[in-house]
Amino acid sequence: MDLTGSHILNADTNRIWAMLMDTDTLARIVPGITRLEKTAENEYKAVAEIKMGPVSGSFSGGLTLQDIREGEGYTLHVKQSSKIGNADATIRIDLKPTDEGHTELVFDGGAKLSGLLARTGNRVMSGVAHTLTKQFFNNFEQEIETV
Amino acid sequence: MSNKYIGQSVRRTEDKRYITGKGRYTDDIKLVGMTHASFVRSPYAHARVISIDLSAAQNMPGVVAIFTGDDIKATGIVGVPTGWQVNFKNGDTMKEPPHPLLIATGSTSKHIGDPVAVVIAETYAAAVDASEAVEVEWEELDAVTDPFKAAQEGAALVHADAPGNLAFDWELGNPLSEVDEAIAQSAHVTSLEFVNQRMIPNAIEPRAYIGHYEEHIDKYTLYTSTQNPHLIRLLMCAFVLGLPEHKVRVLGPDVGGGFGSKIFHYTEEALVTWASKQINRPIKWTETRSEAFMLDAHGRDHVTKAEMGFDADGNVQALRIKTYANLGAYLSTFAPAVPTYLHGTLLQGLYTTPKIHIDLCGMFTHTVAVDAYRGAGRPEATYLLERLMDLAALEMGKDPVQLRKQNFIPAFNGVSEPGYQTQVALQYDSGNYQGVLDRGVEMLGYENFRQMQREAAQNGKLLGVGFSTYVEACGIAPSAVVGALGARAGLYESAQVRVQPTGKVSVYSGSHSHGQGHETTFAQVVADKLGIPMEDVDIIHGDSDAVAFGMGTYGSRSLAVGGSAIVKSIEKVLEKGAKIAAHKLECAEGDLEYAEGKWTVKGTDQSVSFGDVALTAYVPHVYPQGLEPGLDFSSFYDPANFTYPFGCHIAVVEVDTETGKVTLKRFIAVDDVGNVVNPMIVDGQIHGGLAQGIGQALLEGAIYDENGQLINGSYMDYAMPRADDLPMFELDRQETPCPHNPLGVKGAGEAGCIGSTPAVVNAVIDALWSGGHPVKDIRMPLTPERVWRAMQS
Repeated sequence: MDLTGSHILNADTNRIWAMLMDTDTLARIVPGITRLEKTAENEYKAVAEIKMGPVSGSFSGGLTLQDIREGEGYTLHVKQSSKIGNADATIRIDLKPTDEGHTELVFDGGAKLSGLLARTGNRVMSGVAHTLTKQFFNNFEQEIETV
Repeated sequence: MSNKYIGQSVRRTEDKRYITGKGRYTDDIKLVGMTHASFVRSPYAHARVISIDLSAAQNMPGVVAIFTGDDIKATGIVGVPTGWQVNFKNGDTMKEPPHPLLIATGSTSKHIGDPVAVVIAETYAAAVDASEAVEVEWEELDAVTDPFKAAQEGAALVHADAPGNLAFDWELGNPLSEVDEAIAQSAHVTSLEFVNQRMIPNAIEPRAYIGHYEEHIDKYTLYTSTQNPHLIRLLMCAFVLGLPEHKVRVLGPDVGGGFGSKIFHYTEEALVTWASKQINRPIKWTETRSEAFMLDAHGRDHVTKAEMGFDADGNVQALRIKTYANLGAYLSTFAPAVPTYLHGTLLQGLYTTPKIHIDLCGMFTHTVAVDAYRGAGRPEATYLLERLMDLAALEMGKDPVQLRKQNFIPAFNGVSEPGYQTQVALQYDSGNYQGVLDRGVEMLGYENFRQMQREAAQNGKLLGVGFSTYVEACGIAPSAVVGALGARAGLYESAQVRVQPTGKVSVYSGSHSHGQGHETTFAQVVADKLGIPMEDVDIIHGDSDAVAFGMGTYGSRSLAVGGSAIVKSIEKVLEKGAKIAAHKLECAEGDLEYAEGKWTVKGTDQSVSFGDVALTAYVPHVYPQGLEPGLDFSSFYDPANFTYPFGCHIAVVEVDTETGKVTLKRFIAVDDVGNVVNPMIVDGQIHGGLAQGIGQALLEGAIYDENGQLINGSYMDYAMPRADDLPMFELDRQETPCPHNPLGVKGAGEAGCIGSTPAVVNAVIDALWSGGHPVKDIRMPLTPERVWRAMQS
């Protein structure tokens, strides 16, 4: 499953970068996350609850940041397992400053799904991903507003 | 013999229980103390089991026992076998790696859903909850799912001892050099590279099993949703668990469809039987729909290159085929036979092709087993031949009907005219191929249609007609023939006709119904042969303790083989009955004739009824000297040949030029299945088969992603044909009797699925050519997107 897109956020690149590198912020804005712990430098343990149509389950696993380009982006590697199947995603994130203190966040990658997750509701999976992405950016914007 | 029932559309007696919800399926059965099983399955197509941690699951409420692959390995149980052996061209035995009941630590899963452990609990919910708490550490490995890619160098290996993922390579027909030469000398060669996609069988009832070991009688009972209880008992006892057969009873209650997928002996059957003894309680397992998609043996899945050579007049000179057949990860019960002896042997079709050669590679892949699915090999052969024939007509500018007719094998009845010896091992029994084609063309109104097609094209509408004529091999099968071809069992059928003292008749058939209406059709035959009311006949099947033996229901064999076994037993009943009647009437047996349920002294009104004779047989006070009491006979019928039904299917489609959507406007099927006992049941079988064959052409197909994940394993994603996808079918029949079985029947279960698929695809190709898009092939299923893309190319 391809995961690509972009979104313009209402903050400058430095601020967005700081938020993306902060565990507590991430825990608040990533949809479904119930627990996010730093286990090593750039490595996290994550637990998430996702309930959406045919996709309903408790996910747990690792989250690793690689290829860190200070202030510019990183590659996020997510490996989550659940009773309804496993997800293995690699997503490159790039931050690009736009005018007036805005930042464009561009993401490009894909997820490998297995088990029931792969087998069931495949047509709606990209819809689920789309909804989660939208939620993520909504949360992100709220976080920018409130903090 | 009377003719009161045979040939009549008698309403199915079994339907009362089916349509009132009183059917009794395996999952309906509840036994005292019964436990429930849930399997822990591989989420990966290919992955090594590093470790299994049961600690959390073991302590969950309701858990009775958990068994892993390591437990099974410790018992020495190797796995489930295959029932057919195909050898390599060089004579070596095919590769037959073990198919374990559960994957042991250190071993690898070989398709998604391959089980590593089974959790047995007090309730189904508890079993599922605990199975989710079993922690398995996996090392994911590369997978290959496509049979052609599996043959390429560097492809992920399924079994270490099957290099190149090859289970066997195989050839059949005339020497390749002769076929090559004939192709080289042909005036026109039509060639086609195509995929016969993988199908998921989708029986309405998922598989369900109950294993029940009873210590006090030291006996096992297996309730199973199967197409052949006796074969399951034989395979499980002799080849998997090492149990004495008389200590195992296999019951097949009502079974909700199979389409082939319930022929085979599955690991779960053996596992619940084995585990039941370990815990000394009954264990039920009913698969989920998701498991059914993933695990019930799939069908088809060939990648083929075919070439057909013609002379300048359009006479077929040669056929050359190279096919990669996907067998999945393990060899299922009939798997090796399907692409070989049920496919290669049908490549003569209805044509006089003098030179034929097929070269086929049976491939292992990281997918669930591929085995017989309605038609099993014969739809693949028909698809190949009939696509080539219609395409050749388009390429050569000939009429597809005329091209077929000039190449047809002339009519032969198999009695005064001999059967037809093909280039690919079989001898057809009887056939009149032009008859069914002529009738189909007449029903179509062919000339009128071509006129309409031309007018439509001028108005920017695409109409197309597709033809398909088929011959199949049914009534599976003569034991001596299949034995020579590698079957590890005989394929006869048994029947016992037990006349009760009151003249009522109980028939025990080894042919087990999973929805086909055996109880009605068999009773019609018995009632007419004995001249008694159908209500006086009961058909008993699906119980290995009650029925002597059985080889099951598949390959359109029930009436041709199972029905013939019944007829043999009836003949024995009447022969003994005549002795008793002669004694009662004080005449010689030769002076008697049997009709309308009574023996009559020829030329007189002196008679004795069937019921009187039956009573006398059981109350033998006045009785022929030396004759045993009772009226109860068993027979085994081993057919002399396969039966060869044939037919002509014609599809008319309209293709939307804007969207590529195909609308099936008409579907004509003229089938010759030999004599017909119940026309309504035959029509029903044809209807169902057509829906599945059309489903393959337009809608269905299993899709694995590059990692071996089945990505359309649900009814949200796998497109089954629905009523509004299909037109009202236009059916007709021709009856060319089978010359070698006593009923003259050939079999109708698979015909619809065999002839229909190429007719639909041919119609779409014809429509596209009529609109100036000369495409050779569109991959099935013909979704709007694929058809639209083909129009843009």
